Amino acid sequence: MNVGVSVKNLVKKYGDNLVVRNISFSAIQGEIFGLLGANGAGKTTTLECIEGLRNYNSGEIKVNGKIGVQLQSSSLPSHITVQEAFLLFCKWNKVDENHQLLDSFGLSEIKNNQYKALSTGQKRRLHLALALINNADILFLDEPTAGLDVEGRVFLHKEIRKLKEAGKTIIIASHDMAEIENLCDNIAILKGGKIVFNGTPTELTSSYLSKSKIQIKSKIQIEKQDFVFSTYVGVQKEFFTVITDSISDALLELLQYAKENNNEIIDIKIERASLEQRFIEIATEGN
Amino acid sequence: MNEFLYGVGVQWKIDLRNRGVFITYYIVPLLFFGFMGGIFSSINPMAKNTLIQSMTIFGITMGSFLGTPAPLVELYRSDIIKAYKVGGIPLWMAAVNNYISATIHLFITSTIMLIIAPIAFKAKIPENIGLYFLSLALFIVVSVSIGTTLGLLIKNTSRLTMFSQLLFLPSLMLSGIMFSTDLLPTFLENSGKIFPATWGFKLMSSSIFDFSYFWPLIIMLCISTALWIFLLSKVGKE
Repeated sequence: MNVGVSVKNLVKKYGDNLVVRNISFSAIQGEIFGLLGANGAGKTTTLECIEGLRNYNSGEIKVNGKIGVQLQSSSLPSHITVQEAFLLFCKWNKVDENHQLLDSFGLSEIKNNQYKALSTGQKRRLHLALALINNADILFLDEPTAGLDVEGRVFLHKEIRKLKEAGKTIIIASHDMAEIENLCDNIAILKGGKIVFNGTPTELTSSYLSKSKIQIKSKIQIEKQDFVFSTYVGVQKEFFTVITDSISDALLELLQYAKENNNEIIDIKIERASLEQRFIEIATEGN
Repeated sequence: MNEFLYGVGVQWKIDLRNRGVFITYYIVPLLFFGFMGGIFSSINPMAKNTLIQSMTIFGITMGSFLGTPAPLVELYRSDIIKAYKVGGIPLWMAAVNNYISATIHLFITSTIMLIIAPIAFKAKIPENIGLYFLSLALFIVVSVSIGTTLGLLIKNTSRLTMFSQLLFLPSLMLSGIMFSTDLLPTFLENSGKIFPATWGFKLMSSSIFDFSYFWPLIIMLCISTALWIFLLSKVGKE
């Protein structure tokens, strides 16, 4: 597998303040890689170092291909129109005016609108289109859906998936767990400038501290009790509820118990800890 | 070259759409010209001899000190500059485009005054029209260069307004365009010599090329150009 972006032992200081502490990660070509972290964790600084917007103190960054960047906070002159901005960026990047890009981002119908008159969603779409002008191989998206309504988020997520299908490597920095869970193949969680987790979203939710919840509705209500692999937490809307570290062991044990007691199972619900719960655990661990 | 010219064109159109800039490049100078031109020429018939020059100096000084710096503060002190940087647009582009666009706008305003003044106020047309346009061009580029320096030096619009007025008001009062500098105390008359308006007015009112009016403007152009190039390189490093 080819590496799209590789970061090794990156260190960045602002004065005496160590913001990025010796972090390493890599994103495979064609995957969506998420950088997660609370505000001030170092996500934007890390991205800006990779994008070449900031100098860094030590480490090694390798980027294999042309890059396109959508910044967290980005702007254009208030009175420039969508079309003028688009053509200006096309001309300076020496690429043909790809009006299909405007069409696909729903910008053609507002091409004569001035930047100041655009909604947050339209501005985000314009900046994403500008980031794609040079047919970049690697896209950096910093909080791509911040401030967007549901419709805008759904649209952008769809576009991001299409870009992945087209073979682009996409690095997303976000603190929106649902977005990361929906889109990313691999993630790294930053905390205080360090990487505290690096793996797939599933690895994150199936590991770590949180327990999963199993709920069983049976013909005869199961008596309040703890089992070997699970702990009783209560009856919620007729569902006998336990929490467990091991879903398979706990489920097997509960089903065997029901069979031994000639109890008929009507419904079973299994709820894994969400990415958000895992993230909160990591973020608050050691505080 | 194509991308550069396109950028200049876009900036020119942006300036027309930007109400604040449009007002300082066109509306106020031309209203002032219409209003004061009538008053000056009726109070003092001799004023008709230099009406075109004085009104032009007013318009250019206003446009370049109050209008030219504003888009630069918006561009270089906001996230626009980051968007340009990641989008492959060089940082000097915005300042140079703004400079050229301002020069063209102020040249248009000056030409409108030159055409209307003789018809509306029977103002005297400059004797040596070639020298007039040469002097006009020099005065515009010097003033826009100072305006560009202000726009790159000052980091917010409220401060910019204060510093721009600090240059604009003395330029009007001490340059001789409102009343003769002979009426001023020596100290103020000499103070007026640090403003390009003083030398621009003398050069544009002269029917023969006088080097003593020319070189102060050239020095001001060199200093201000060096300054804004230096400031631009600093912005790039930030």
